[in-house]
Amino acid sequence: MTTVARPLSTRPTAAAERSESQARVILRRFMRHRLAVVSVILITFIFIISLLAPVLAPFERDAIDLTAPSRPAPPGTVTQDGRVHYMGIDHLGRDLFTRVLYAARVSLSIAILVVLISETFGALLGALAGYYGGIVDTIISRIIEFMLTIPTLPILLIISAILLRRDVVLPLPGFLERLLSALLLAPPREVQKVVVLVLVLVIFGWLGAARLMRGMALSLSKQDFVEALRAVGASDARIIFRHIIPNGLAPILVNASLSLGGVIVLESALSFLGLGVQDPTPTWGNMLSTSQSYMFQHPWLPLVPGVFLVTVSIGFNFIGDGLRDALDPRLKR
Amino acid sequence: MTSYLIRRLILAAFVVFLAALFTYMLFSVSPGGPLAGIQQQQRRLTREDLARLRAQYDLDFYWPFRFTRWLIGLPNGPIIIGGREWFANVPVGCYLPRDRQVVQRDGQLVVIPAGCDDYLYLSEIPQYHPAVRSSRGILRGDFGLSTVVRAGRPVFDELMSRLPATLELMILSTLLSFALGIPIGIYSAVRQYSRFDYTFTTISFIGSSMPTFFFGLLVILLFSVLPNLWSDTLPWLPRLPPGAREAVRPYTVATWLPRVQPGTFLDRFLHLLMPVGVLTFFYMATWSRFVRSSMLEVMRQDYVRTARAKGLIERVVIIKHALRNALIPFVTVAVLTIPGIFSGAIITETVFAWPGMGRLYYDALTRSDWPIALAFIFITAVLTVLATLLGDILYTVVDPRIKYT
Repeated sequence: MTTVARPLSTRPTAAAERSESQARVILRRFMRHRLAVVSVILITFIFIISLLAPVLAPFERDAIDLTAPSRPAPPGTVTQDGRVHYMGIDHLGRDLFTRVLYAARVSLSIAILVVLISETFGALLGALAGYYGGIVDTIISRIIEFMLTIPTLPILLIISAILLRRDVVLPLPGFLERLLSALLLAPPREVQKVVVLVLVLVIFGWLGAARLMRGMALSLSKQDFVEALRAVGASDARIIFRHIIPNGLAPILVNASLSLGGVIVLESALSFLGLGVQDPTPTWGNMLSTSQSYMFQHPWLPLVPGVFLVTVSIGFNFIGDGLRDALDPRLKR
Repeated sequence: MTSYLIRRLILAAFVVFLAALFTYMLFSVSPGGPLAGIQQQQRRLTREDLARLRAQYDLDFYWPFRFTRWLIGLPNGPIIIGGREWFANVPVGCYLPRDRQVVQRDGQLVVIPAGCDDYLYLSEIPQYHPAVRSSRGILRGDFGLSTVVRAGRPVFDELMSRLPATLELMILSTLLSFALGIPIGIYSAVRQYSRFDYTFTTISFIGSSMPTFFFGLLVILLFSVLPNLWSDTLPWLPRLPPGAREAVRPYTVATWLPRVQPGTFLDRFLHLLMPVGVLTFFYMATWSRFVRSSMLEVMRQDYVRTARAKGLIERVVIIKHALRNALIPFVTVAVLTIPGIFSGAIITETVFAWPGMGRLYYDALTRSDWPIALAFIFITAVLTVLATLLGDILYTVVDPRIKYT
């Protein structure tokens, strides 16, 4: 009796133990990358304060302090009713601390949206190309190669210059607009511009994920277990979604973390050049851009958004680095 | 090899054509341009005046014809074969478009195009578009006329006037970053996991993930803004000029230095310091990481172990056996910096108000000067494609194992 029962009862626990220990191995390897751990803590902190922005912010986002002694004014300026501008006031008389919090919300949301969309799209296309091969692979690979040849920044600048000037109105469904407006803490008419920018960033964002997943799918689809699955009669969709994509997820995860940093830098670069998110909506990029004209008298101005921007962009890169060390089984140190 | 080259060149031409077509389409659907808002500014403008102005900027052509005129300067008149005009009555554009004003539901007055009163036929092109300098097409070396940034000046002259500034900036920072980045990369690979390796890996990691424009602002803050603000208490602190390529007036860098006259070598040098420093830091970060990883890859190879086993001294192993092989991928990637040397660094040039190509492109984009922007994109695309090709060819030269067929 017991001999029959034992394998039945041990199998699930053994599997659970193995998966847990693997997760623990990954965690242990990740913890060894000290800078990555510090980055996780810092980014979590910025993430939390951006989530709590409406609660933490002492002022309204666009509220202009008419009683300010000067605009811009240094950190610690006190309003007439005794509230403190912790990080000073910008050139229009708006509280910088409040705006930096809201900007964290906008910049992080844009980065996460762009990375989510482009990694999903890229992984899907890459899996299709690698799994089917032939003409599908040729078309997708040629498109990727072509897009990698053309210089990214000039093209992105053109597209956003044109779209911004054109005032394109995207047919967003109402619920999506409300959702994004709640996510960005911005009125719906500002959401439109942000969505345009997200789409612009996705144009070049999916290439990395697609290339990675294509390579993975190419090697996976030649392995025996895929052959076995086909023999059992599994559909292509099932093989791709249940077996190929989950197996190729690790490099995609690393890529996603690295490109989060990249997208934040790119978005703030576009906003810095005036071709990204426009002024009433704060992002770190456009705050830096306006601070440049005032920094000769008010040198702290660029530091306020800059410190956040640098922390987040370097942090995501360190996390990606740590994840790569942790997830890559070949790098056993 | 020859057939491979020919195939690659055809493919390159196709890629450039696609890129040009794509950007041209983007520009042709975008608002703005030379005539934007001209009717609001000058109410007395008649339809005929407007049509003449439109014709001056080729705007009366349909965009595919405008594209071919921009690319190769055709069509420039009826096609004459054997003394007969062909396709003389084919409309290639609309000389006098008809507008209709429509009141929308929310009360706004909108002007929408509604047909055409006078088509432009192939036979009429010489009459409406007398041959001026800007009608030979970009492939024949004619880049057209600038419309906004330097209205009426040839784009080519404008590009040429900006090129020296960009070349100076980019060549200096590229060479400096090679000179610093390659030795750092080699040394960190040779002493992997040493303190030197950790320090420089971290620095270059930060360098390659930090936004250029913030680093630029930080450098301006440190070397220009703060010394200026503290000039009363710390007058000996040198302060660098925060932007531009040359000063307009004489200025002092520090109390212990003589006044700098504008246009002198010292003036140029001081203006170069910050932008070159910023770019060098970023490129150096990339190159040292690249060299380090390819060096590590090579050091694991069997032939390096063999060289060591032969009893060669470590220096010979590293320089003659490892380094030469590690630089194979480096050569091909280094070639890819060529288009960047021409097109400059858009962000850095903007931050430091450097009058180079990147800055020109940025100005052209924000002020809708499409001929300049198009010329920039076109040249960059051509250079990128050629550099990729050159890189692939160099690969066969430095690595005889690779052969293209």
